[in-house]
Amino acid sequence: MTEPLNDVLRQAHEQGEYQPLIDLIPYARIIGVRCERLGDEMIFRLPFNGDNIGNPTIPALHGGVIASFLELTAVFQLMLQQQAPTLPKIIDFSVDYMRAGLAKDTYAMCEVARQGRRVANCSVTAWQGRKREPIATARAHFLLGNG
Amino acid sequence: MTLSNEQLQGRCERFLSAQPHMRLLGLRVVAAQPYRVTIELPVQERLYSCEVNTYLHGGVLTTMVDHASSAATLCALEAFELCPTLDLRIDHMARPRQDQPLRVDAECYRVTNSVLFTRATLYQQDRTDRPVAYAIATFMRPGAGHTDPDFKALIEGEAP
Repeated sequence: MTEPLNDVLRQAHEQGEYQPLIDLIPYARIIGVRCERLGDEMIFRLPFNGDNIGNPTIPALHGGVIASFLELTAVFQLMLQQQAPTLPKIIDFSVDYMRAGLAKDTYAMCEVARQGRRVANCSVTAWQGRKREPIATARAHFLLGNG
Repeated sequence: MTLSNEQLQGRCERFLSAQPHMRLLGLRVVAAQPYRVTIELPVQERLYSCEVNTYLHGGVLTTMVDHASSAATLCALEAFELCPTLDLRIDHMARPRQDQPLRVDAECYRVTNSVLFTRATLYQQDRTDRPVAYAIATFMRPGAGHTDPDFKALIEGEAP
């Protein structure tokens, strides 16, 4: 368990300001992940950024950036709901792409289907217009604790 | 496949350069041949977090494998088609070391009229003993005439 993570997480919960937590992960900072708390729900936002373009002809977000945004959404959701937070380690990740990610903001939410002592099972949805018209969904398993 | 390795590598390099996010990560094409490509991510200190002691966390590998698998489809088609990813699965087996570049070997192992199938291995110095991750993906062929002609010309090296 890392001390900086505990401190940052405690402060984030106290102040309702989650950016310092997100900025602990360099790739989250590079693609520009943001997070907003609505009641007890966390919604993650990826503001449009020209550096995240993969296909310049549409233009569309890079598929890898969309997948990474989904993965990071699950990582942060798990960190925020753990009692003794550690950085979840990815075991496997499976993404389905439904629509091109257009040049606008993308949103994502994660549902933790099961969180055991060692493993968590997550489903993540990313959308741009309506949530029921996702641009991509993903399933992932993470190793928790120091396992 | 009538294209030479050099022609395929040129196609993959132009494809990489055309994508802002790939330039940002500093990826490079190491080698290309029919159906196969190798892509490298140089050691990047800015992707290491000392606060939580982690390197390449949070999807960098997924981005890299998505791109490499996509490039492998370029090595499996006579004429460039921009094939969107349908799905991708990645299994992580080891934490990447921060003192070595990371490579991915991607192969398009099956081409049908509608769908392309790929598999990829991510590794550092020792490819066989300790892969970092495996991934499989599928890509949808857009059908004749559905790839933007200007973009096709750019990737084929025919741009004015």
